[in-house]
Amino acid sequence: MSLGKQTPSGFLNQITGGPVRVKLNSRVDYQGVLACLVGYMNIALEQTEEYVSRQLENKHRIIAERGPTFLFITTKHF
Amino acid sequence: MADDADQQQTSNTVEEPLDLIRLSLDERIYVKMRNDRELRGRLHAYDQHLNMILGDVEETATTTEIDEETYEEIYKSTKRNIPMLFVGGDGVVLVAPPLRVG
Repeated sequence: MSLGKQTPSGFLNQITGGPVRVKLNSRVDYQGVLACLVGYMNIALEQTEEYVSRQLENKHRIIAERGPTFLFITTKHF
Repeated sequence: MADDADQQQTSNTVEEPLDLIRLSLDERIYVKMRNDRELRGRLHAYDQHLNMILGDVEETATTTEIDEETYEEIYKSTKRNIPMLFVGGDGVVLVAPPLRVG
């Protein structure tokens, strides 16, 4: 995937709809499909799995709230 | 499901994460908070900061202790019930439908 010249918002628009992994400040990992992402970095994830060190829960839909909560969002899975 | 067109914003498609919360009004929800706290209650109101009013709430606070002899981690949960609660959006990490067991 060539990045070229991209803005963070361009990247975020690009990954919407696809599988992502989100790590929170509190060492919890979420993997799911990114349904949407809005201005304050509030996101909605579908079919999410929550990992601390192992798989904990399966949630059909989650809203993860706020930029300050995330460490990062990536498309790369375990 | 994977192919829901972005073009067609029907009532089934989530436009904003806050829409998902709006759909959960008056339903029971699960809220994960900072400091290892979890809430399960009925959502009465919310705003864009994710401040919420929850009714009939059960709060679970999980603490980890380390046994000094075996150095094992011991997880302890404390639960309490609160009939009506205002939640500050600051502490909210995620909001989801309550977990279905199994």
